[in-house]
Amino acid sequence: MLAACASQTEQQQAAQMNKQVCDLPYTTYQATVTGHCQVPKAVLPQDIERDEMVLEMRPYEQIPEVFFYNKGLKYAAVTQEQPAPLVFSIAGTGGSYDGSKMRNLEKGFYQQGYHVISLSSPTFSNFIVNASTGEDHFPGFLEKDAEILYEVLEKTLAQVKAEKEIEVTEFYLTGYSLGGAHSAYLAKLDQERKQFNFKKVLLVNPPVSLYNSVSVLDGYLDIDDGDVAKRDRLNATFENIIDRFSDAYASMESASFTQDSIYQLFGQSNLTEDELKLLIGTSFRMSSAEMIYAIDTTFNYGAVIYKDHEISKYENNFHSFVRASRKGFLNYFDRAIVAHYTKEDPNLTRDELIERLSLKAIEDFLVQADNVSVVTNADDIILADGEVEYLQSVFKDRAKIFPQGGHCGNMDRKDFVAYINKYFAK
Amino acid sequence: MKTKSLLKALSALVLAYGLTACSATPEIEPHAQEPSWPTSEEEMAHTMTNQISDPWQGFNRRMYYFNHTVDENILLPLVSGYKAITPDPVEQGVSNFFSNLGEIPIFLNAALQLKPKPAFETLGRFAVNTTIGLAGLFDPATHMGLDKQNEDFGQTLGHYGVSPGPYLVLPFLGPSNLRDAFGGIVDMAAYNAAVNELGLKDSEELFMNFVKALDTRKNINFRYYASGSAFEYDTIKLLYTKYREIQIER
Repeated sequence: MLAACASQTEQQQAAQMNKQVCDLPYTTYQATVTGHCQVPKAVLPQDIERDEMVLEMRPYEQIPEVFFYNKGLKYAAVTQEQPAPLVFSIAGTGGSYDGSKMRNLEKGFYQQGYHVISLSSPTFSNFIVNASTGEDHFPGFLEKDAEILYEVLEKTLAQVKAEKEIEVTEFYLTGYSLGGAHSAYLAKLDQERKQFNFKKVLLVNPPVSLYNSVSVLDGYLDIDDGDVAKRDRLNATFENIIDRFSDAYASMESASFTQDSIYQLFGQSNLTEDELKLLIGTSFRMSSAEMIYAIDTTFNYGAVIYKDHEISKYENNFHSFVRASRKGFLNYFDRAIVAHYTKEDPNLTRDELIERLSLKAIEDFLVQADNVSVVTNADDIILADGEVEYLQSVFKDRAKIFPQGGHCGNMDRKDFVAYINKYFAK
Repeated sequence: MKTKSLLKALSALVLAYGLTACSATPEIEPHAQEPSWPTSEEEMAHTMTNQISDPWQGFNRRMYYFNHTVDENILLPLVSGYKAITPDPVEQGVSNFFSNLGEIPIFLNAALQLKPKPAFETLGRFAVNTTIGLAGLFDPATHMGLDKQNEDFGQTLGHYGVSPGPYLVLPFLGPSNLRDAFGGIVDMAAYNAAVNELGLKDSEELFMNFVKALDTRKNINFRYYASGSAFEYDTIKLLYTKYREIQIER
């Protein structure tokens, strides 16, 4: 028996050597969910030294009890001992400074000799609770987001300099997804304020029009109309996906979850395009529900929470999740962003506002900004028809378009990391 | 031994009191206003999360917070101290050692579920690692292609159709349900019976349990409230329940 096992092991080891790539059939949705695993993974350091930092912005006593764990803006700093350039890196919609994409970027930059400061998205609850300015601001309104972010860059830099005693030679900036759009707006703001004079700014898989991107992602989870039969069908689909994962898991050799076994689960479960879209839409909806809840709780608007009610940290707040997730981001766009900014400026129409939440609104700047580049994929799901071509026409030779990868599906893959390394080569 | 039974009695008391005494229903002040975005009882009842029985939610949410506090103030500092003073290969050896003792309940449960392959594989692992692996300090079995299995008495009960019962957040141990909590006690008894064979003194056994607790916490890559989500309690409840369903199917 042992001999049989041994020979099987050799086969398994050989299989593992080749298992750098998965054998899932490629689609843009699959790449968005599992990563573009058909191409090899980049070789990045296993573990790098990384400091968890906390910055007090909003006074702690103003933070609602239910967010007791969100006292202080959390971010990460990776530092070099010798004087070095520093990259600010900004997460995508609902993304934390701590996510795997952010960690992969950190590793790449660190390897290239950079200091790194990783920041959560202005749509992430910890950021909202600590840094959002309330009455005059709803996250997603890019101009104002950039102003707040600018202050965050200055303050986090000051803190890292003081606590880690680093010396910074010059500044770089990057962000993925919504963080890419934020980077573009920050680059523009810096042209006026000149605090950083970013040597290079890289937008990774950015949206062109926020409204278009959000419409796509919101549309993947079609429950907004309150149709009960439709909802029950979706619930049944979820149960069915879980059942198929169960069957796939039951047929696997090993009971432990590894990267390979996850690919295997997806491979055997054979998710349809609609099911993959459902997973993407659900994940997006969960982020937007978190965002809405954080805004509502911090500023006491009373959309998904009881207005003028102090939420205890033991309280069942699930009703707020249901209220927020049924409606999604587009609803937030109309009820919060449009409502607020058209009240502020009665001449502003909804369509004009949609135009303003896009890279097109700062096109004049982007066309001539030699230090700003974009990298994305031809099949990125958050780009509407014509938007890839738009990026090419605006950024010209500063645009790098990979043929495949979905939305941010290749950020830890060899070809993408090689591109980043070359771009950030000193 | 006395302290152990005292602790057990005490926790049973706390549990019995706590389960019924506290509530998670919002206490809405008279001047507070209804949220403006609607939902309905029907809608709430049809969410996947609310399909899971959670009548002790008031207790559970408090226990969730309690575990976080214990984690932050006691367990995690101890774990990082342990990691700082222990060389990596020793840590690995300790993990392997406890993992090897854990093969006993895994074997029993695989056998109880009449699953010959996982049972024999586990038996093989135990035999190889206890001998060639020097009392379980090394794990040559994995390199020989004998995969680590995952069985416990909660799964065995589930395998034979016992439903999970109400969701339950256990002190120190975290997410569970009535069935799995009971299962955990049975597995613990099997484990303790195995440890008794080692013929340790009480103080040695206490030390071993202490190291085991550190090792267990070290190997679980989870931090309470670290997701930053305001709905982490509900998400974890859903994930735990679905994960157990998937495990039981296996």
